Amino acid sequence: MQIVANKILEEIKKKADKIGQPIRLMELCGTHSQTIAEHGIKKLMPKNVSLVSGPGCPVCVTDQSDIDVVVGLALSGLPVAVYGDTMQVPGNVMSLEGAKRSGADVKIVYSISEAVAMQKEKPNLVFFGIGFETTTGMTAWAIKNGLTVYSAHKLFPLAMEALLANKKIRVDGFIDPGHVSAIIGTEVYQKFNIPQVVAGFSGEDVLLAINMLLSQIFENKPRVENAYGRLVKKEGNKKALKLISEVFEVCDARWRGLGEIKNSGLKIRKKYQLQDASVVHKKLIAKIKKEIKSKPSACKCGLVLQCLIEPKNCPLFRRACTPESPQGACMVSVEGSCNVEYRYGK
Amino acid sequence: MCLAIPGKIIAIKNQLATVDFSGIEKEINISLVDVKIGEYVMVHAGFAIEKMDGEYVKEMQGYLGKK
Amino acid sequence: MWNIAMENRKNKLVELEDGGGGEKSLRLISEIRKFFPVTKKWKNTEDDGAVFDLDKLKTLNVHNGHLMSTSSSKLVFTTDAFIVDPIFFPGGDIGKIAICGTINDLSVMGAVPIGISLSLVIEEGFPESDLKKIMQSIGKVSKETGVPIVTGDTKVTEKGKIDKIEIATSGVGLASKIIENGGAKVGDVIIASGNLGEHAVTLLASRFNYRTKIKSDCQPVTAEIQSILPYLTSCKDPTRGGVAAVFNEMAEKSKMKFVLEENSLPFAKETVALSGLLGIDKFSFPSEGRFVATVARKDADKVIKILRRYNCDAKIIGSVAKGGGVYLKTIIGSEKKIEVPRGKLIPRIC
Repeated sequence: MQIVANKILEEIKKKADKIGQPIRLMELCGTHSQTIAEHGIKKLMPKNVSLVSGPGCPVCVTDQSDIDVVVGLALSGLPVAVYGDTMQVPGNVMSLEGAKRSGADVKIVYSISEAVAMQKEKPNLVFFGIGFETTTGMTAWAIKNGLTVYSAHKLFPLAMEALLANKKIRVDGFIDPGHVSAIIGTEVYQKFNIPQVVAGFSGEDVLLAINMLLSQIFENKPRVENAYGRLVKKEGNKKALKLISEVFEVCDARWRGLGEIKNSGLKIRKKYQLQDASVVHKKLIAKIKKEIKSKPSACKCGLVLQCLIEPKNCPLFRRACTPESPQGACMVSVEGSCNVEYRYGK
Repeated sequence: MCLAIPGKIIAIKNQLATVDFSGIEKEINISLVDVKIGEYVMVHAGFAIEKMDGEYVKEMQGYLGKK
Repeated sequence: MWNIAMENRKNKLVELEDGGGGEKSLRLISEIRKFFPVTKKWKNTEDDGAVFDLDKLKTLNVHNGHLMSTSSSKLVFTTDAFIVDPIFFPGGDIGKIAICGTINDLSVMGAVPIGISLSLVIEEGFPESDLKKIMQSIGKVSKETGVPIVTGDTKVTEKGKIDKIEIATSGVGLASKIIENGGAKVGDVIIASGNLGEHAVTLLASRFNYRTKIKSDCQPVTAEIQSILPYLTSCKDPTRGGVAAVFNEMAEKSKMKFVLEENSLPFAKETVALSGLLGIDKFSFPSEGRFVATVARKDADKVIKILRRYNCDAKIIGSVAKGGGVYLKTIIGSEKKIEVPRGKLIPRIC
């Protein structure tokens, strides 16, 4: 494997030389950020190639207001089930971990099917549905099986659109997410006129993707290439997509750091409103939103998520903000830019 | 959050399949895919999200086994 | 009601009085003692303290099957506590971990264990049959290794005050050469006595409902270490915190850089898979019957050959260089730092 990797690295160096000017590539998926950090790939890059982490960590882009709602539901006595990664994300008042310590019934599940089983004993259980298309399909299945969900699910390509629309951010190519693409396919990326490669998650996969992106940049032929063909099909997972569109419809959504993005979220269709926590607990949620005030904070997650600054430029990084005491979502999730930088950066 | 692992389907019962991940077995929900016994799937948070090319997985497992 | 009462009589449960010091206490203690007939050179094992006559050291030249130099002049003393959950698991139970853990703490220092104390804190209502199974496990290892349980204590707490049973041990051993944690030198190689982390795999699989043929690696390591003692420059058993914890400790104490090779990692495929499935770093997985060590490069092949008589997976996994910290040389040629595990580590695994 080292021989293959060495060959790819040589080609990367040659192409970077030929291109000459600075090249900025962005990986969009938090798991790619982890792979890049774990394998020290940034250090292996030629001087003019820099890798930047995009807002691909679903925990990190979950807005404070969504955390506040679920914390509020839990503190008002409703049993709540969540994925483990969301426990420490700070809301405006506290995190779900804080709510649990205050006595709220907050359970961590590894799979949403555990929540479906839990609901048999706790009929008023609410599940906090976050994530991109990789997890949305499971939430759709769970809703059809009777689970009540507060949906903060988001659509991945919309984040890419928002990034590209922001003139302050300069990106020359995207490493497209692997598992989101397994669901949505690769055709959806065609509308972005920028070099893109869908990549797998091993060190060699990422090196290969970088190599392919540099070819596209050198040839000035931006296109969508699939380097994760063993899993990702052009049309994606039709069964999962059908289920998602049966249960969900597009809505506007607030993203931590990126603000409100039109048509970037998913809300549960009227047909399933009995499973929609935002309908079932409408009055309670309105009360919660009224009572919670936005808290000013020195946390610069928003700018990190927009790739306008690096984690080290945030005044809280490594001081008040560490994985043990995270001040923002980017430090909470193991895939968050600040968490990755803290653990692997120097 | 995209953490996902490939495994082999060794038994199927309704919406659940017994999946073998290199000697670790668990029941996985296969509602999002259409699969047969012997095929490989990528599993995330207890669900198979898509089928995986079996030849690749065997190659990777062979490589991992040698380490 | 009658059936439940009959069940309770059949399945005898530990009661508060069993730990009170009275007649029932004496009965329980004498039942427990039946599992530990091995006393070796210790006397007064039923008194308040067990006695080992130091004069006997001069006449001892074979102990526990190991030829000991009569210049074993160092006493090594260790202590440990065990709260593992579940208490019974594939490959062992809390008793086996307790005795092996204590024996191994002495062994990785270069000592030959000569006696162990055993303190039990038992929850009221704990089944006596389970207690007997645990004592049997301890007795079995004691007999196989020749390391006696020479003294102990038993207490019973009210229901709910602890979770089933907790075990605390102390152990003494004798050594002529002490292996320091910080003895690694530039150019040494790093070895593993076999595949690592399988104790963690067993407990995690059980906790998260995965099925696997992997069993806990819990076992005593004295014989293996004694067989290569002259060649060891440093040695540790990677229990809590796994190799991530112990290599960082060894690197810091020796002021050296430990570099592991990704294409030679001592993990079974199941360990790699479960680590990926749970998102828990396999470098933090504890082992309870393995050790990692450094030896001079010139002795490496000889040492591995000897160790492979005990475990065919013993191998060289890296090397020691100038600098600091612990790194993994990846298959793509980069170096990844291996940090001391942080945050909530895997709970109640030891």
